[in-house]
Amino acid sequence: MLGNQSSLTLYFLPLLQRLAPGFLPGQYRARLLCRQWQTADMLQLTFQVSGRWPGFVPGQHVLLTLQHNGRYISRPFSICSPLNLWQSQQRIQLCCKINRAGEFTPLLNQLKNGAVVNISKAQGDFYWQQAATAAVFVAAGSGITPVAAMLLSQRHWLAPVSLFYRCRGSENAALLSELTQLAARQPLFTLTLSDSRTEPAETLQQQLMTNSSNKQFYLCGPAGFMQQMRTALTNSGVSAAQIRQEQFGLAIAAPAEHTAAGLQLNASFIRAGISTQVTLNTQQSLLQNAEQHGLAPRFGCRMGVCFQCVCDKVSGQVRDLRSGALSGHGAEQIQLCVSQSVTDLVIKL
Amino acid sequence: MKLTTEQFTALEQELDSVKQQVQQQLGDADARYIRRILLVQRLSALSGRILLVLGFITPWLWLAGVLLLALAKILDNMEIGHNVLHGQYDWMNDPVLHSKRYEWDIACDAGSWQRTHNFEHHTYTNIIGKDRDFGYGLLRLSNDFRWRLRNLWQGGTYLLLSMLFQWGVSYHELAAQRVFFGKKKADRHSQVSDSELKKAFFGKGSRQLIKDYVFFPLIAGPMWLWVLCGNLLANLIRNLWTSTVIFCGHFTKEVHVFSAAQCEGESRGQWYYRQMLGSSNFTGPTWLHILTGHLSCQIEHHLFPDIPARHYPAMAKQVQAIAAKYAIPYNTGSFVRQYSTVFLRIMRYSLPGGDKAVKAL
Repeated sequence: MLGNQSSLTLYFLPLLQRLAPGFLPGQYRARLLCRQWQTADMLQLTFQVSGRWPGFVPGQHVLLTLQHNGRYISRPFSICSPLNLWQSQQRIQLCCKINRAGEFTPLLNQLKNGAVVNISKAQGDFYWQQAATAAVFVAAGSGITPVAAMLLSQRHWLAPVSLFYRCRGSENAALLSELTQLAARQPLFTLTLSDSRTEPAETLQQQLMTNSSNKQFYLCGPAGFMQQMRTALTNSGVSAAQIRQEQFGLAIAAPAEHTAAGLQLNASFIRAGISTQVTLNTQQSLLQNAEQHGLAPRFGCRMGVCFQCVCDKVSGQVRDLRSGALSGHGAEQIQLCVSQSVTDLVIKL
Repeated sequence: MKLTTEQFTALEQELDSVKQQVQQQLGDADARYIRRILLVQRLSALSGRILLVLGFITPWLWLAGVLLLALAKILDNMEIGHNVLHGQYDWMNDPVLHSKRYEWDIACDAGSWQRTHNFEHHTYTNIIGKDRDFGYGLLRLSNDFRWRLRNLWQGGTYLLLSMLFQWGVSYHELAAQRVFFGKKKADRHSQVSDSELKKAFFGKGSRQLIKDYVFFPLIAGPMWLWVLCGNLLANLIRNLWTSTVIFCGHFTKEVHVFSAAQCEGESRGQWYYRQMLGSSNFTGPTWLHILTGHLSCQIEHHLFPDIPARHYPAMAKQVQAIAAKYAIPYNTGSFVRQYSTVFLRIMRYSLPGGDKAVKAL
């Protein structure tokens, strides 16, 4: 009643932020304790997290929000530390791949110890379900982070578990020492490194397919790698229910039928009552397209996790970049960051 | 058009580059500035509302409360609301200061205002028949409109409009769509149905009325009448102020008016040209600029509506130099001088005759 914002917290936000710098509604403050390079490009960050934070299930991720040059930007990162670090000391660790040409991750390397950032509630449904069933984990690159959290958190080992960890040599394998120690003390756990420089992916596929029945598979890594592993597994008779996966990064493909015909797609973005006509770059998400034309829709994770960029599509069809699924042609809500145009579009930002 | 096609292209490039220079600098300083204004707004709103109740100690406290609340409402309306709803701070990705989320403390629904003001007024500025902000369908401001008997007392109409300005703004879109009165115009198409328009109008309007004239008086207990009158007065001050500022932006003596035919198929350079001729600035100290939401730099606002407004005074120097280079009139003067020409215009055209404002460009 007092203000005209959707909640009193938003009305009082300017005052609250004076009292608690960095406060954001719906987010939790986390203080950086230390940074440590796991490999040449994987940075491990240890945070002391606010006591209000509701905790996590190993395998889940959080959205990390920073303020840079006046702008709030956020990205999702999987928690790589075991549950007991949170339970005993209210700390979590994130393992972040630093892309030096990127907008976000280089900022993580510039954070000073003691810096306060915001994290969201833990999200995601990629976690270890049945500890009593034999399980095979396959992780590639930074895909090791949620898998490491699951394995390092496990207290009661009931069935054999194997991890196939694909990376460019052991010097590029983040969290390797923790996992090696686990393998040494836990007889039910076996760790296999698969060096992508010397070993073709087919060898890994062969290893996976032996004794694949009655096992649960957990896949985590880049989109292309996951697709390859998933296809190999289903071809060898593994049912879809046996496979759980978490994708890192988006695979953006140009819709072949349009590029072949040289068709040009247009969108009109309606923002603040004004409509802007845009020729779409079909290689990019609608969020990137809108941003390149000076429009600034609200955004968050940029990979379909946080739902901050949800907009009203008035007409036209889009493709979901994660699943390839096509939308309807009518009015509906879409996530800009994971949507690609299939036809001309009208969108209310 | 006085300029050649090449000159229009050159004008476009020069103004674009003024815009680009500022866009590249946007960052921490802008974020800090608008958050500070937001903080001042919140603090003056809270202290104003508390002081209204403390009026039982001495009426002077009540008076201070009225002024602080009026200041809060002016800041919320102008420097924050108007500019945020133009999308000037969308790049911050802030949970409050975003054009999609912000809702302001006036009777007009933010979405409705974005459609009529951001789109209609800013696209068709001062085109007779297209920009209904020129006279708001109530006032005759040039001889391009036929004189009617009701124009005789338009001085009074103007005073009433200014006092109830927020309601005028709120009703603007419904008037255009003839939701309650008059015959639908065949050429008007709306993205929004009449029932949605009514819902937004009554929803936001009643919310505002309940807030200022029921809720806050009720929680003030025995001081309810003081609070009610204080809120009424603060809203009145804000209405008079915003109306005055906005009238100075487009209805001064030298401001240009256009016909729809003149603007058909115009290039971006020509659009810039029309924005410069159709708007007027006034000068003053920094605090005055802030209280107007930098609409004292109406010309720059119309050229660059989505650039954070605190940059307008600096951009004005560059724009004025560009205007001089192409011999485009640049309409500026003191607040008193500009406002007196507005007042004279309203009075002059309340009588029949007068000059036609649409001139050959």
